[in-house]
Amino acid sequence: MEQISMLLEGFGSALTPMNLLWVLIGAVLGTAVGVLPGLGSAMAVALLLPITFSLDPTAAFIMFAGVYYGGLFGDSTSGILLNTPGNSSAIASTFEGHRMALDGRAAKALATSAVGAFIGGLIATTVVVFFAPVLVNMATAFGPAEYFALAVFAFLAISSVVSDSVVKGLLSLGLGLVLAMVGVDGPSGTIRYTLGLPQLFDGMSIVVITVGLLALGEVLHIASRIHRDEEAVRVVSKGRPRLGLADLRRAMPAWLRGTAFGVPFGVIPAGGSEVPTFLAYGTEKKLAARNGDTDFGTTGSIRGVAAPEAAANATAGTAMGALLALGLPTSATAAIMLAAFQQYGMQPGPLLFERSGDLVWTLLASLFIGLVILVVLNMQFAVLWAKLLLIPRHYLYAGITVLSVLGVYAISSSLVDLWILLAIGLLGFLMRRYKLPLAPVLIAVILGPLAETELRRALTVSEGDLGILVDSPVTLVLYGLLAIALVITMIQHLRHRSHSKKNAPILDNDMAGV
Amino acid sequence: MNNTEQEPVPHGKAAATGVAHREANGSFPIRITSFWSGRSELVVPALVLCLAGFLTYGTASMKVMGTSVPGPQFFPTIVCVLLYLMAGIHVAQILRTRRFPDESSESHSADFSTDLLADLSATDSKEIYGPSGRPVLGGRPRAYSDWKTLGMVAGSVAAFIVALPLLGWILSAAGLFWVVCRALGSNRPLFDLSVSVLFSSAIQLAFNAGLGLNLPSGFLEGLI
Repeated sequence: MEQISMLLEGFGSALTPMNLLWVLIGAVLGTAVGVLPGLGSAMAVALLLPITFSLDPTAAFIMFAGVYYGGLFGDSTSGILLNTPGNSSAIASTFEGHRMALDGRAAKALATSAVGAFIGGLIATTVVVFFAPVLVNMATAFGPAEYFALAVFAFLAISSVVSDSVVKGLLSLGLGLVLAMVGVDGPSGTIRYTLGLPQLFDGMSIVVITVGLLALGEVLHIASRIHRDEEAVRVVSKGRPRLGLADLRRAMPAWLRGTAFGVPFGVIPAGGSEVPTFLAYGTEKKLAARNGDTDFGTTGSIRGVAAPEAAANATAGTAMGALLALGLPTSATAAIMLAAFQQYGMQPGPLLFERSGDLVWTLLASLFIGLVILVVLNMQFAVLWAKLLLIPRHYLYAGITVLSVLGVYAISSSLVDLWILLAIGLLGFLMRRYKLPLAPVLIAVILGPLAETELRRALTVSEGDLGILVDSPVTLVLYGLLAIALVITMIQHLRHRSHSKKNAPILDNDMAGV
Repeated sequence: MNNTEQEPVPHGKAAATGVAHREANGSFPIRITSFWSGRSELVVPALVLCLAGFLTYGTASMKVMGTSVPGPQFFPTIVCVLLYLMAGIHVAQILRTRRFPDESSESHSADFSTDLLADLSATDSKEIYGPSGRPVLGGRPRAYSDWKTLGMVAGSVAAFIVALPLLGWILSAAGLFWVVCRALGSNRPLFDLSVSVLFSSAIQLAFNAGLGLNLPSGFLEGLI
């Protein structure tokens, strides 16, 4: 077992006092942004990128590992206590979690979710350690056509299959692709869409786009609503999160079932952990109905928190594996991690294990260390994290605004970047206002250049024959799966539309939709 | 958006009064006063079409280097077609159905289809983001978005960018922090002032001393 010795080596370099400090900082930051509604690990990594540029890559990635998992530990806290999930990955665990909190069992719900996140992450990271080399072997056989198929799969799965509206999803995807095309075209050296600005020759910085969409866009969106929306009511969590033996026995099967849903979904570009968390929640719901559990849906079932939370972190774990071994980001957060690698001049994929094997195994080891630190942080200090929700919102968002401009200015001390940030921030606001999905933009910005290069490479080889794109079994399977998923989505959309038309109230002479 | 359970259908008879069935729970006031009511979303396809136009112009007037086939115009052409097509369909959708923002599902993320999640979890889609409010006619004329606050925040960022080279990091960042605080509803201006100066100075210190990155000090250059 070659992997085990590599991993032990990784632990060797991760377990230095300095590197432990970086994991801890990452874990604290990640949990904090996870707890705060509307902020997530993707934004935190993007804001940290320019600041960590002077660190050596290993230290930076160790910190990102903490942030990456930390966001998923924190997001259920605000869901359980406020009924407003910190991220969409925590929606499914909020249903039962908030019911438990209202029932006076907030501490137990917090503990269940923390342990669930730990177990899910632990199993998934272990799976990655053993299967990453298998994925790497598979990926070395991939040619341009296969990589293009993977990119198309990710584009359409995230923009059409899982997003709310196919049209809006594809619009977002197109916007992202446009942003990705600005700058000098790599293969030919042609200058494209730069408006003559030399600052844009290198393309738009991924940090500017991410910070603009996720941080400044969120601040502008909050600004447009802060005097309109009511504040959520907070449930006070009493006592230390403790799980008794009976709780453990009840939650354990749910944790494992949740992990089983999460592990395969990390490798599928379905936008992250929402789909598996809801699958896990639905399974627990059906099982509860069959077993006659009365607490599910009333006072709050511990299993309804355990399964989705384990699924979320299991997805994140294997998503990291797919990112490292295939270079394929399966969610927006993974896409930012990919951007982080690119900032340091590394390209995740089969070659990464060869060229920067040390870094990869240290990163995997620090994922394990991060999980241990996170479960301690979240079990022991859950009440403290909840206090973060007491920070007045105006200080919080003013701070994020200043950190956004700081992060963007720190990349290259360029005022043009700051103006682009403001423009992208306003775009982010518009997209939130009109419910355009954000994930397709990020995926398109990051995978767009890859898709274009591989497509052109494939067509150059085949001298323009489109047949090469569907010439191998791998591409056929990918396009086939994609076609099936798209057909199912279409049926689903049509079914729900006819259902809602039948039940629609009469409003007035003109149609009014919401 | 096709996730809402209650998508109203046209009905000619109600036209005379223009009054809808009022629902007590989850309803919010809207008014249909002009062609544009519920159609402000047209700004999205309008922007997309502008962008697609720019892309078309840029692709057509591109000074192509190299002779590789397919060249640098190949992929942009595909994206252009996608943008025109989707913007067209989007316009048609908005014109067919007025769309009003829904306050009760404000936390709703468009990244995931509510229908899909509801089907996966055997849960009613209403439960996922709370009951979707139903538009009720004859409400107060109030913009859904708070343009004043939004304008203050966006304006303060613009002012910051202009001021940064002149005033330096400490003053302009403190100003940005202070204005955003005020806009978002803080009512302790003096206390905020000290918080913002402290915040921006701490960043300047950490950056210049700790990370070795230079933030501009503006006209304070040499004084500090």
